[in-house]
Formats: sequence, structure tokens, C-alpha cells
Amino acid sequence: MLQLDNVSHTYANGTQALRDVTLTIPKGMFGLLGPNGAGKSTLMRTIATLQTPTAGSIRFGDIDVLQSPESLRERLGYLPQDFGVYPRISAYDMLDHMAVLKGIASRADRKATVETLLTQVNLWDVRKKAIAGFSGGMRQRFGVAQALIGNPELIIVDEPTAGLDPEERNRFLNLLAEIGENVVIILSTHIVDDVADLCPRMAVLAAGEIRLEGAPRALIEQTRGSIWAKTIRRDELADHRSRFDIISTRLIAGATVINVLSDADPGEGFELAPGGLEDVYFSTLAALRRSEAA
Amino acid sequence: MFASIAAFEFRYHARSPVFWVVSVVFFLLTFGATTSPNIQIGGGGNVHANSPSAIIEITIILSIFFMFVTTAFVANVIVRDDQSGFGPMVRSTRVSKFDYLFGRFVGAFGVCVLAFCFVPVAIWLGSLMPWIDAETLGPNRLRDYLFALLVFAVPNLLLTAALFFAVATATRSMMGSYIGVVVFLVVYLIFSSLTEFNPDWLLIGAYFEAFGGGAYDFLTRYWTASERNNDIPSLGGVLLANRAFCVALALLALAYAYRRFSFAERSASPRQLRKQEKLKAKLARQAPSLVAVLPDSAPRSAWWARFMAQTRLEMRQVFLSPAFFVLILVGLFNSLGSLFLASEIYGTPSYPMTFRVIELLQGTFTIIPFIIAIFYGGELVWRDRDRKMHELVDATSIPNWAFMVPKTIAVAGVLLSALLISVFGAILVQLVQGYTEFEFSKYVLWYVLPLTVEMLTLAILSVFVQALSPSKYIGWGIMLLYFICTITFSALDLNHPLYLYGAGIGVPLSDMNGTDVSGAGAWWVRLYWAAVAVCLAVFAHLLWRRGTGVSFASLFRQAPRRLAGGAGLVLAVGVIGATATGAYVFNNTNVLNEYVTNDEAEENIAEYEKKYLRYESLKQPAYTRFVLTLDVYPETRQFRAEGEADFINDTGAPLDSLHVRFFDPNVIVDSIDVEGGELTTFDEEFKYRIYTLSPPMAPNETRSLRFESRREQNGFRAQGNDTRLVHNGTFLNNAEFAPLLGMDRNGLLGDRTTRRKYDLPAELRVAPLEDASATDNNYVGADWVTADITVRTSADQTPIAPGRRVSDEVVDGRRVARFVSDAPILAFFSVQSARYAVKERNADGVNMAVYYHPQHEFNVETMLDATERSLAYYKANFGPYPFDYARIVEFPGYARFAQAFAGTVPYSEGIGFIADNRDPDEIDYVTYVTAHEFGHQYWAHQLISANQQGGTLLVETLAQYSALVVMKSIYGEEQIRRFLKYELDRYLSGRGSEALEELPLNRVENQGYIHYRKGAVVMYLLQDRLGEARVNAMLADLLERYRFKGPPYPSSTELVDGFKALARTEAERELVVDLLEKITLYDLKAASATVRELDNGQFETTLTVDAAKVYADGEGQETLATLNDEIDVGVFTARPGLGVFEADDVLLFERRRVTDGEQTLVMVTSERPVFAGVDPYNKYIDRNADDNLVRIE
Repeated sequence: MLQLDNVSHTYANGTQALRDVTLTIPKGMFGLLGPNGAGKSTLMRTIATLQTPTAGSIRFGDIDVLQSPESLRERLGYLPQDFGVYPRISAYDMLDHMAVLKGIASRADRKATVETLLTQVNLWDVRKKAIAGFSGGMRQRFGVAQALIGNPELIIVDEPTAGLDPEERNRFLNLLAEIGENVVIILSTHIVDDVADLCPRMAVLAAGEIRLEGAPRALIEQTRGSIWAKTIRRDELADHRSRFDIISTRLIAGATVINVLSDADPGEGFELAPGGLEDVYFSTLAALRRSEAA
Repeated sequence: MFASIAAFEFRYHARSPVFWVVSVVFFLLTFGATTSPNIQIGGGGNVHANSPSAIIEITIILSIFFMFVTTAFVANVIVRDDQSGFGPMVRSTRVSKFDYLFGRFVGAFGVCVLAFCFVPVAIWLGSLMPWIDAETLGPNRLRDYLFALLVFAVPNLLLTAALFFAVATATRSMMGSYIGVVVFLVVYLIFSSLTEFNPDWLLIGAYFEAFGGGAYDFLTRYWTASERNNDIPSLGGVLLANRAFCVALALLALAYAYRRFSFAERSASPRQLRKQEKLKAKLARQAPSLVAVLPDSAPRSAWWARFMAQTRLEMRQVFLSPAFFVLILVGLFNSLGSLFLASEIYGTPSYPMTFRVIELLQGTFTIIPFIIAIFYGGELVWRDRDRKMHELVDATSIPNWAFMVPKTIAVAGVLLSALLISVFGAILVQLVQGYTEFEFSKYVLWYVLPLTVEMLTLAILSVFVQALSPSKYIGWGIMLLYFICTITFSALDLNHPLYLYGAGIGVPLSDMNGTDVSGAGAWWVRLYWAAVAVCLAVFAHLLWRRGTGVSFASLFRQAPRRLAGGAGLVLAVGVIGATATGAYVFNNTNVLNEYVTNDEAEENIAEYEKKYLRYESLKQPAYTRFVLTLDVYPETRQFRAEGEADFINDTGAPLDSLHVRFFDPNVIVDSIDVEGGELTTFDEEFKYRIYTLSPPMAPNETRSLRFESRREQNGFRAQGNDTRLVHNGTFLNNAEFAPLLGMDRNGLLGDRTTRRKYDLPAELRVAPLEDASATDNNYVGADWVTADITVRTSADQTPIAPGRRVSDEVVDGRRVARFVSDAPILAFFSVQSARYAVKERNADGVNMAVYYHPQHEFNVETMLDATERSLAYYKANFGPYPFDYARIVEFPGYARFAQAFAGTVPYSEGIGFIADNRDPDEIDYVTYVTAHEFGHQYWAHQLISANQQGGTLLVETLAQYSALVVMKSIYGEEQIRRFLKYELDRYLSGRGSEALEELPLNRVENQGYIHYRKGAVVMYLLQDRLGEARVNAMLADLLERYRFKGPPYPSSTELVDGFKALARTEAERELVVDLLEKITLYDLKAASATVRELDNGQFETTLTVDAAKVYADGEGQETLATLNDEIDVGVFTARPGLGVFEADDVLLFERRRVTDGEQTLVMVTSERPVFAGVDPYNKYIDRNADDNLVRIE
């Protein structure tokens, strides 16, 4: 179990990236949802021992992460949001090298690890090609493979599905789901569906603060009956925006569908929407915007 | 289109690391050469470090070096697109072949020029550095920099860029291009060595040596220092033609590249395709080994595997990088160049003995390691971050040290490769020079091992600095600062090895004495800094930054906990090691020995001069007899002297005080006792004692003094470790252990700037020729004495001192030899002791012996031959040789000279003993030097001149003359031209370095280029004109009059008068005056020559001669004089002075009247001549000695 208490971080330039983040993350998949710039990557890096927070404490089981980052790293699998590669090194060799770095000393173990993982992420056929020449998706799959080396107890994946095509994304999520039972997996993403599909628990991080935390199902339940949807013309949007508290707009087959949050029927042709995680997420962000505006 | 392609290419390269590395490399190389005396590229002497000639020479040399760099850029233009796979995309656009190819070429070439601009910038910046002696600098003129850059650098860069662009186009490979570079270099070096040493080819070299060095050297051969400091050659004639040739060659290469280049990609050959297919099939056949459950990691037991994997990765990244390849090639080229060109004396090479080769390698290896360490330290530490790999690898459980140590090892690995490649180069050079005694143990123990430790220390510093620095560039900046410290610390006189990280103690090398002078001390210092490096490594481990935003505060918080394990242990070892070795070093350098900075040492000498030089003219008695017992203890490097000396009051008046002094700082005086003298003034610091004599010493009274002194070696010093009293090859002279009577100028400060710094008059001039009082003292500053010297040393060493050896036996495990001189010798004697091999020969009642290091037998026979021939000639022509022995005794090459003591010639292992005399075309300077030193047995050890202007004419010039006539008797007159030409060149170029004023020979003030170089040429001409036998008779007479004579000592006028008396005609008389009493320069030129066959079958040669004579004053101002002299003319079938030129090749050789201006001379011979010339053997002081001969049309 990962426990964060009052973790705050302010960058040297004054940007406060995290404010008093307190989270308890149990075993299983945990979705960390938030818009770009919300502080997700800062939080991920902080947990992954790559950044020291200005204040707060982080514990993983018995480990005080800030005091002995080495112990955490021994249990950690981490896929950063963005990473590069060495030139002139093939996927096989690089994964093999990562396996050594992660402490798999025996050649046979490494062979099993590398070849199994390459097959799982569907890179077996291109194993001898230099990673430098990989496409974004292939590179991402390589990143996933290396995060899984050595059966980590804590897996942090930062924006893993960005750049993956739907098929690759499915393969990836399945892979995570298989492992997800007995370890802590933190999936940071701005894609609501990733969380909805996979995570028994989640939190929404925005402007450095945890805005919402809970089980997606329960959260969806809470909003049930308060989300109203209406299909409007594009030129009606500005008018509606001024009169209603719109939490999201999206295009469906060329028409604009707006969702508003309201305990009572707002009338004017709004219909009760079934409500999904996306609405939960957007209503949280909308609440934040309101409070900022106020 | 063209412009934008060029601009893109320019920006692309300007951002590449190669650009920055080479810019910094060349900046530092130049900056170092300008600001540090330890680093040399051309130049030197009185020529300013920022003079036009220094700027141009550095520019030419570095622009040749730069071909490795231009190749990297221009070959990249061709190779890049294929490597990156962008080729097809780029080539399918609408860009034209011309724009594509030359746009890129221009961009890459522009970057080369930009990178090269760091060279002039470095000279300019260097000239502004505060620690440089202002006397070595002149004004900075933009004109000089621009001239060097535009006339030399840019065309040269264009040439190599174009040439290797063409090669890259043809080979389409980086490696192919570099092979092209190597081939080109070999051809170039052969071409330039051919043209440089063959006067016939000099002009060809000037036109076609593609980098303009030949042309520049040709034009400025005899420029004086002031010309070199102020003038640039005019851009016309040879220089313009040469530059045009260079550019034309470049354009030709570009045209070839254009023709050769094709957009179409060369498709894979069927063989390659099959190979690819095979590989694909093979990969497809392999099935992955799959497991249901992945193996767990076991980080704690994987340390070795991790360490090895990281090390392999780092090494691979480094060794496959293009920068590494360029650096290694530059390093190899650099060391090869210096090895090939170094250690020539009189143009004759030395055997590439390992100890010499290693010293040369060390000299060229000062900068490259810094650059490698600085560059790769930054690259490796920051690579993960630069490649954005850091989040991936930093989040793994690999411990910090497993990052840090492999990176350090990789940096050290590059350094080691550079080191080993230089050894490889050295062995290659030895092989090429036909030397196969490979002493691998010396390479390892004296070079590879010590430098490996130093490299590791440096690598750790670089990694440490980068690990803690907030960015790579700041880290590089800090390291650069450190590098500058290594130069400036010594300039600021902060030479203690404990001051600056990685500093050391200099270890002079010698075959005789190994590294014994300070080798052990150097190792202690090395260990000390290595221990400090270990501590730095631990800190780097503790504070290694992982991730992006780990604060130092938290690293510091974690540090104590991390220290708990092995890291703490290693740190403890480092701290204890550093403390222990540091204390040991300090104890040696500052407790057992006194640490004296150079400034303090200079200040001391200045103080000494201020206090005591006023006693210089005080009349003092002369020694008459020495009885010495000298104990050498080579094992412990201790020495004891016990002596008794008689002295006579030869001043002609009663004396009431005696000044007794020991000048050498290493001598410890245990006791001194003067008969009838009372010590009234005792300056302990300067070991200067003044005794009051009571009763005063009557004229011609003799008294005696006794003394006991010693020298010791206590541990090692920070600098200035004693090279005189050593384990094998001790060489001391009496001034280093025995008292001197009265004050003289030996050892006082000489450099003008230094003297002014201590408020001393800028120069101490020699007494003028007219000063009669100066004839009281002789040039050597020693009296005629008899001596009885007993030397004791360890049983396995041979003790040697001047005198007849009356006994030599082993007593109580010590070898004891007694040397007695009944004939007077100068109170100036040497003591030597080493494990010698001896070769002896008896001739005409003289026992000749060479004492040499067993490994150095090469020229021992030659030395014996030379001794025999010299003594035979001197006895026949000058008079009796006063000894029945003649010894040549080798000493370690810590100094490179030979010196004449009575019958005994200490001879450095660094010169004649290792001369490579095998090529009969080279000057046999072994014989020359030997003959010169035995000449001193007459001119110094029988006749000694007064200590005034012209004093060295009677000593050094006559020794030169003696050597020349001996050489003539051995090699014949025809071959003597080489010697004369060499001496003439040295004289003419020596004029350029004169700091005071040039003087005529009869007033020479101990100026080597005059009394040795000019002296040799002048004496040869005089004996040629006046007759060798007549000159010898005159000299024999002079010797007869002054043999072993005390004051008043003879002056140069005696010799000049002797020559005047030999003059039979007005022309001869004028020649004597011109040569000895004036500074006279001639310009004799064979302008052209034609031949026609006469009816009688003979050949008539018409030679057009252009002649002039000028007088110069001390500053070099010239006035035209009338020439009317009888000068040699001749016709030959081969070029005199070149190859095997023999008497048979001379068809006609006679003296003809030559006046100033143009004139024709007609000569008739029976054979068809090939060469004609005026003064063909270069007997005159001819400002251009290369145009005396002309090929007959």
C-alpha cells in the first residue's frame, strides 16, 4: 500500500505543482486522472524517487520513500511520460541491459524475461532493430516492457496510452490488468476511458490538488440523475454557455452535445444523461473552474 | 536554395558536439602554446609569442592538423543521409545536384573555418594573460591575424575539405575517408621531408608544399627576430603561386566530387540482399523462450553483473563515437610528428632510446588527456539526461556507484587508449628508424603505469565535477578553469605538488639512473592524489543526482545513511590513504627538505649579488695545490669531501683578508680552517666567510686551508631534486663541494627581466677588451694547481677524477682510486661514479678510455677513434698533450652537454652516446664534439684567456677550429661543407635571438652563436686563406707563450695580432679585420652558368656571379662595403655537400678575384660540369648560402 501524506512541491521558479496531496493507494490499479499541467507527472516522478517534494512524506509498505529511495527502486517499475534511447542499440540488447540494471543477474533469467516481455508487447519480430528507429508506439511498448521487468511491486505508468493505436492500447491495458491484482499500479492519464475500463480506484488531480478520490463506480453512482444532456447547433453554444453550467461539450456526428450539471431538470429540451466517469471528471474540473472564477 | 541549404548545413554542424570539441581542443592547444613554456608549437627564442611569424607558423601547423576535423565535417555531409535513412527523402525533392552537394559543402566548410577561428582568438586571448612575461610579447595587430587566417588557414582548410569531400564521395564511408587522410598524410610527410632537406628541391617545396609552410619558410629563412616580430611576407611571387596551387588543387577535387556524386542510391548488391534475407530468416526461425511468470529481480546479488553491463555500455558508447576516433588520430599524429622530428643534433638523429622517446611522448601528451577527460566526463555523466534516458534508468535500483564507476572507467579507458596508441606510435617510430631493442618494461613502468594512475585521477575529477555541477556546460567550464590552473599555477610559482589536484613531481629519465632522481617521490604524490580521488569518487557516489529534481539538501540528508555500508569503508580508506601519503609527502618536501619557491630562490641569488658582488674585484690569492678525499655513497646518495688546499698570494701586495665561500645551495660545510686566519665575518645563510689574516699574507707567501663538507639526499623535494649525486651516474664538480676564494659572477641571475624585478642592473656585461685589470682573472675562474684526489665509492662503481690514476683497489668493500696531477690543471675538476663498462686503447703513450653505460656501446669506437685522431693532430700541430690519459665519461642525460676537464671529458648520455651515426650522409657530431672537447685540452687547459670581452675566442672558437681541422683530416675538404653550412645557419639564425648586441669575434661576450658558430666558419676560412700549417704554427707559438701561465692572462688581441701577422696581402689583412674585428656579412650568388664545348673537346663554363659585402653594427644596421677579395669558385659533376660527394666530383676549384656587383667568370675543364658556384663550400658568412651553386644550363 502506498501512502502519501501532505505532499507538496514548489519548483524553483515558484510554480506550485503539488499542494498537500494526501492519498492512500491500495493494491490493484489506481487511476490518476487530470488535465495537462495538473501535476500528474510531478507526482509520478516524486513517487518514483526522481524528485524530492518540498514537504510531505511518502511510504510504501514499510519503506519511507524519501529516506531510502533505493529500497523503493528495488520494487519499482516506472514508465516515464517521455523517454529517449541510446543510439546504435537494438531493442533486445537495451531490454537486456535494463534487466541487468533492475537486478536480474543470471543470463537465463534475463533471456526468459526479455523474450517473454518482447513477445508480450509484440516487439519480438523487430528485436534486432535499433530502438532509435522505432515509431512512437513501438517505443512506448518497449517502455512498458522494461517497466515490467523483475515483477515490481509498484508500477507507475505515466501517460502510457498516448500515441498508441486502439489495438495496441487494448493489448497494453490487458497486460496491465493481468498483473494488476497483487501489486500497486498507478496509471496516470488524461484519458478517462483508460481509468473507466481498468481501475477499481481513482483520483482526480487538478492544479496540484486532489479534487476527487474514490471508486469510479461509486463516483458515477453519485452523479447519477444530475447530468443533463442536450444536442444543440454550434451557434447556440455561446448562448447556452452563458445560461447553463456546462461541464463538457463534444461533437457527435457533427452535432454539438452539451452536458450540464443540475440536481433538477433544467428544462429547455435537456434530457437526463446516463452519466459516466467522464461526466464525473468533467464536473470536478468544472467545479474547480467555478471556484477559481469566484 | 543554395544559400538556405548552406545555412542549414552550417547550423547543423555548429550544434554538433564534434564542433564544440574541436573548437575547444584547438583553442586550448593554441592557448597553451601561447601562454605556457611547457607547450610548444613552432616559434621560440626572441620571437614574440604573438608575432606575425608565430601566428603564421601556428596557423600553418594547426591547419594541417585540422584535416582530421575538416574530414569529420565534410565526410558527414556525404555519409549522413545514407546512415540516417533520410537520403531517399532528400534526394527526391527538387533540389539540384549542385545546390545539394555544394550548398552542403559550403555550410560544412564554413563551420570548419569558424572552428579554426578559435586558433587566432586563443593567441590573442593568450597574449592578454597577466602571467606572461611582457618581453615575450609584441603588439597585437589585426593585420597579422587576418593575414594568417586568410592567406594560410582558409585555403588550407579548403584544400583538405575539398580533398576529403572527394574521397568521401568516392568511398561513401567515414572510415574510407579517414584512410584517405592517413594516405594523404604519409605522402605529404614524405614530400615535405624530401623538399626540406634537399636544397635542390627547396624551391619546388616552396611552390608545391600544399599548406604554404614551404613557401613561408623559404621566404623567411634568414629573417632576424625583429623582422619576424614585425613583418609579414608580401603576397606575391612564390607565396602567391603556392596559394594559387593550393586553391586550384581544392577546386579540382571539388570538380571530381561533383562528377562522381550521384543521387541514385547504390542498391544493395545481390550478395548483400542474400545476406539480409538470411538474417531475416534466421531471426524468424528463432522462437522466444517464454515463461508464464517473469523471474524476480535480485538487486543485491546482481552488483557485478550490473557493474559489468554498465561498463560495457559506457565503453561501447564512447569507443564507437566519432569524436573518439578524431581525438585518437590527432593524438597519434601529434606524438608521431614530434618523435620523428625530435632529437636531432647537427641534423643527425639520435637512436630512439626508450627513455628519450618517453620524455618526448610526455611532452606531446600534456593537453590531449585534459581534453579527453573534460569532454568525456561531461558527455558520459550527462548522456542519460541528454538522451532523455535518465528517468528510465534512474528509477531502477542500480546503486549510484554503478553509474559513477563505469563512467569513470570509460573516461579512463579513452585516456588509456590514447596512451597506448602513443606507445604503439613510439614503437612504430623505433621500428622505422631501425631500432629494435624494445624495452617494454620501461614503457610500462616509466610511462603507462604512472600515467594510468594520473589519468584515472583526472577522470575521477571530471566525473565528480560533472556529477555535482548543475549543467554539463558549467561542469566543462569548471574543468577548463582547472586546466588553466595547471598552467597558471606554475607561472605563479605555485609549484608544490600538494597545491593543485593531480599535480606531480617531474621525473627526469635516464638509462643509467632510471627514475631514481625523484621517481619514488612522484609515486607518493601520485598515490596522494589518487587517494583524494577515491574520496571524490565516494562523494560523487553519495551525491549522484537521479531523476530531475532531486535536491542537494535531501541528498545530504541521505548521505550519512548511505555512508554506512561499503561507501563509508571506501571513504575511510581514501581519507586514511590521503592523510598518510599527504603527511609523508609533506614531511619529505617541507620538513626533511626546505621548500623553496622559484621566486625565493631568485630572490636569494639577487640578495647574494647585492651583498657580495662588490667584492668581485677584491684581489685574492690563488690556489696552488689540492689534496682531496672524496667519498661517494651511491646507495644512500651521500657524499663527503675532506680536503686541504694551498693558496699563494699572487696579488703583489700584502693581503689582510681572505674571502672563502661555498656557493652551491646543497653543500653542507662541516668545518673549515684557514691557516693564520681568523673568521671575522660569517654569513651562515650564504656560506660566505671572511677571514682576517694575521699576520697579513706577504706577497708570494703560501698558506693552506682545510675543509670538510658533505652533500646529502633526505627523501625527496617538491622540485629541484638533485640530479648530480645519484644512484648511478654521480657527476659533481669542485664548486659543488669545495670552497672558492673570492667572489665571481657564476650562478648570478642572467635574465634581464628577472634582474630588473629584483632591482638589479638589467645586465652584467663582461669587462671590455680595453680593461687591463680584467686580465688578472681567467675565463674559467680557476687557478693552476696540482692535485691529489682520492675518490671512494661503492665496490660496483668506477670512481673517476682528473689526474693520473696511481691506484685503484677495493678496500673494505669500497672501491678506492687515487688520481694525481703533477702537471698543472685548472682548479676545476669533476668527480664521477657509476657502474661503467670501459673500452680502452693505447696510442702514442696515452691511455684512452671511454667509460659508458653498458647499453650505450653504439659510438664508443667512434669516440676512441676521434680521440686518437684529435690527439695525434694536436700533438703534431699545437704541442705536447700534458697527460698520459684521455677519458670520456658518460653521465646521465639530465643535462645534454660534454665538458672538458683536465684529460677527462664528462659526456652526457643524451648526446653523442646515443647518436645514430650509421648514415654516412649525416654529420658525425660524435667525432666533432669529441674533437672539440679534446681541443679544450689545449685551449682552456693549457692556454686560458682573460675574463673579458673576446675571452671565449681563445677557448671556444679555438676548440671549434681544432675540431674542424680534425674533421677535415678525417672526412676531407669536400665534405666539410655540411658542417660549415650548419654552423653558418645557426649563426645567422642566432643573430635573430640576440638580446643585447651582436659583437665581433674579438669582443665576444660569451655569446654561443658567435664564439661557436661564427667562430667555426671564420676560423675555417682563415686557415683556408692563410694556410692551415701557418695558422697552426702561429697557434703553437701562442700556446708556447701562455702555457699554464697565470695572470695577466692573454686577451683576444693576441690571437687577432697573430692572424694579422700571417696576412701576406692587403686583401688578406682586410679579411682578417673583417672577420675578427668587425661584423661582416657577404652575399655571394651564382646567378647563372652556361657551358659550351670547345673545339679541343674541353668545356668552357661561364659563371655569372653577383656579390656584395656589408658591415653590420650591434643592432643589425648594415652599411655597404667594398668587396675585393679572392674567393673560391669551382665547377663540379655533383652538388657539393649532398650525399656522397667526393674529390672526383670536383673538376675545377680555385680562387678568383670577386668584387661587388655582377661579374662573369670563365672556367675551362676537360669534363662537362653539372654544377658551378662561387664559394661553393660556404666558407664565407653568406646571408644566403643556398644560392652559391647553380646547375649549369
